[in-house]
Amino acid sequence: MSEASPAQRALAAAWRHSWFRLGCAMLGLFVLLAVYAPFLANEAAIVWWDAGGISLPVIADLFNRNTFGKQHELLFNLFALLLPVYVLLWRMLPGRTIGRRISVCALILLACWAVVQVPLLPRPSGGYQALWAERPTTQRTSTTVHRDAGAARWCLLAPIPHRWDATYPSAVLKPPGWTNPSTGARTWLGTDPAGHDVMARMLFGSRISLTIGFIATGIALLIGTFIGAISGFAGGWIDLVLQRLVEIMMCFPTFLLILAVVAMTGRDIFVITLVIGLTSWAGIARLVRGEFLAQSVRDYVTAGRSLGLSSGRLMFMHVLPNTMAPLLITATFGIAGAILGESGLSFLGLGDPRVASWGQLLNHGRENPAFAWLIYAPGFAIFVLVLALNAVGEGLRQAFDPKAAP
Amino acid sequence: MWSYAFRRLLWMIPTFLGILVINFAVLRMQGLSLTDTIASGMGKGDGERKAESASQAIETWLGRFHRTGNDLPALINLRGFTTSDGVRGRLLAAERGPQVDEAKRSRAELEDLWLQGPLLVEPLLAVLKDDGAARLHGPASMALSLCAYRPLLPEDAYLLAPAEQDRIRVRNERLKQLRIAYRNDREQGFITADPEAARKRDALIALLHADAFEFSRSSRRWSAIVSETGFVDFAHRLFTGRLYSETRKALAFDVIAERWSVTAWLNLLSILIAWAVSIPLGVWSARRAGSFADRAVTGLLFSLWSIPSFFVATVLLHHFCTQDASGAAWFPNRGLSSPDSLWLSTPAYLADLAWHAALPLFCLTYGSFTSLSRYLRANVQEQLASDYVRSARAKGVSEDVVVWSHATRNSMVTMITLGAGLLAELFGGFVFVEYVFSIPGLGMLTLEAAKQMDAPLMMAATVVSVGLLLVGILIADLLYAVADPRIRSRYV
Repeated sequence: MSEASPAQRALAAAWRHSWFRLGCAMLGLFVLLAVYAPFLANEAAIVWWDAGGISLPVIADLFNRNTFGKQHELLFNLFALLLPVYVLLWRMLPGRTIGRRISVCALILLACWAVVQVPLLPRPSGGYQALWAERPTTQRTSTTVHRDAGAARWCLLAPIPHRWDATYPSAVLKPPGWTNPSTGARTWLGTDPAGHDVMARMLFGSRISLTIGFIATGIALLIGTFIGAISGFAGGWIDLVLQRLVEIMMCFPTFLLILAVVAMTGRDIFVITLVIGLTSWAGIARLVRGEFLAQSVRDYVTAGRSLGLSSGRLMFMHVLPNTMAPLLITATFGIAGAILGESGLSFLGLGDPRVASWGQLLNHGRENPAFAWLIYAPGFAIFVLVLALNAVGEGLRQAFDPKAAP
Repeated sequence: MWSYAFRRLLWMIPTFLGILVINFAVLRMQGLSLTDTIASGMGKGDGERKAESASQAIETWLGRFHRTGNDLPALINLRGFTTSDGVRGRLLAAERGPQVDEAKRSRAELEDLWLQGPLLVEPLLAVLKDDGAARLHGPASMALSLCAYRPLLPEDAYLLAPAEQDRIRVRNERLKQLRIAYRNDREQGFITADPEAARKRDALIALLHADAFEFSRSSRRWSAIVSETGFVDFAHRLFTGRLYSETRKALAFDVIAERWSVTAWLNLLSILIAWAVSIPLGVWSARRAGSFADRAVTGLLFSLWSIPSFFVATVLLHHFCTQDASGAAWFPNRGLSSPDSLWLSTPAYLADLAWHAALPLFCLTYGSFTSLSRYLRANVQEQLASDYVRSARAKGVSEDVVVWSHATRNSMVTMITLGAGLLAELFGGFVFVEYVFSIPGLGMLTLEAAKQMDAPLMMAATVVSVGLLLVGILIADLLYAVADPRIRSRYV
């Protein structure tokens, strides 16, 4: 039995805090809602049984051409299919610790994602590409599925029978509970100024928030860890220069920078993610540097040096795992910060207009103050998600360093 | 103490410069779409009328381009070294054939040439003087008139004497007239076929020789590597206050001068309020650490910390600033003063201001309660458990004195450090609050500039924000030294 890693010990200690458990539960709920959003809000039926046999229109909808235009949707859709497999085969997955198993799961997901891309590669002749192109888009086939439910022998429909990107001409700014005559279904949270179902957009908005949060923080972690590690390990003038850089980024009103780039370059969701990631690594770098400074005088580093290990191996294979716990804490708060950053941008009218985002809905609510559901639904969702992340981070922090306050 | 302050001030210079460089690089990378206006004119300009419109388009573009210093290389200028031979190669490539793609290529080459500015005037003049290179005279005179053209920018104009302004205007006009058309003359060459062109050429050479003091830069080639760059040009404009905002038709700092004090006051007040609320709150919870009230307050503050300020601002606007049936609202929904506030007496004016600023200040402030008061709570708790507090208690000092003048006072150093950090956070947050409550401050200005792609204004607003932030951090550093005698004694 090997000794538990520092990160694992911190996780185990954090689990004893009720805040942490609550945060994890809320976060898990958000992830589930985001992953299974197409099953919850879709015009396509989940199961459809008629004279032609039983079909699963929702699966076709998960991988149609619209989805391939938005890679984050594709990733979530793949995860929706893989999640039950993961749960069933959890014990058979390689890797002893939870962290390793999660990494294995993520690798499998990424591999699937890469494989699904293959048919999209340019080919000399039609090939697979034609296969994808011929697949009918959902917009054409399924608009009336809900209204025609009587035609099926048996069908299972999504609880919210509206697509997040479908607009209905007559449905502009309708209150919650309004029944959409073109689909014959109720809109739970009304509609927005463009005629979208707000509930469906809320569900898919969680995908955007989670994507931005995790990917932007991932980018920030990569940069911050790299710079912090080199700065702490190398010392001397390299440290001095990198510390200036970190200080510049700390003093930088980063939100203004994000504003400039996003307003001028393009309101693309990946530009936004990238920019948020590229501007939020300063705190991480400072933290990692401090940890590396503290670790580099420890005996095991000296031992490693005298064994002739290279600096890179020593830094990233031996010292880095020992700084995991504080990194995890900062990353959790960083995710919350990135989510706030994206919804703030969308709130200012600088978000990606092609995706459903909570901040965008909130901005609609600001412009139409008579329609309170446009304010409360997205605002509350952002609040709960950020609260969940902060609670997880706080639990970890208390477990790791009980003296520190929030 | 003073040497300490001076050191801190010195350390801020590289930070400030670094921020400038990064911001400059980011704005330069946006690369305003500049080639479009020129493409419409020059590509198809065959008739005299169209050629005229093309040159006008180029001149408009030139003016705009120069204003942001975009025609210069960003940080290092290596194109100042273009030799006479290099110029000839470019001109050969720029010589236009009848095909459309040739016209396009020719345009690109010419753009490249005249972007190099006054440094190129000398080699171009050499080409123009050379009778053997007559076939290049058309493109050369085109590039030359553009390189020697000096746009008269509004922000420059008032610095120049009227006579000088007139001189530049006349010279620009003459440059425009002396440009040799090169439309159909690929076979003929200019000199042999067209005595008019020869006359123009000689006049152009004479004109530029009269201005030799402006263009003889051969001795400045080396210094041009650094001094003739976009960043130096930008920094020069910035520090002499001549960043010009295209959308507002005014100097950027003039626009900001009306706006910055609002943001500065709001931030200062919000930090003061945050301290005034958090210090008693933190001490209060530290004295009751672990009790139900303490845990409840912690939970409450923790949730408060997670609410985005733009959500709170929108909700407040929705509930307290919307007029009811009688037309009355609890709070005003926009701005910082009523329309008629100029005619109010001073107390009434202040009351009006407070009435307007209450909700924005709350939105700016509530987020900092949590971190400040929780840090203070942890710190005071730690102090209360220390030896000196135990001895004070044993000596019979009253509990209030122990808590306030011993434990809290010793925790104030942390609070000051946190105050500086808070400032940096505030500078992201005020954009939302100003946006929702329509407050004409720096954040709103930055947002408008970003949406209108007004890079100079954006830059100036960021610089002022950074300046305010650095001043705040400096003040915090000084307070730190005032509060902590150990720091003072280190830098006597």
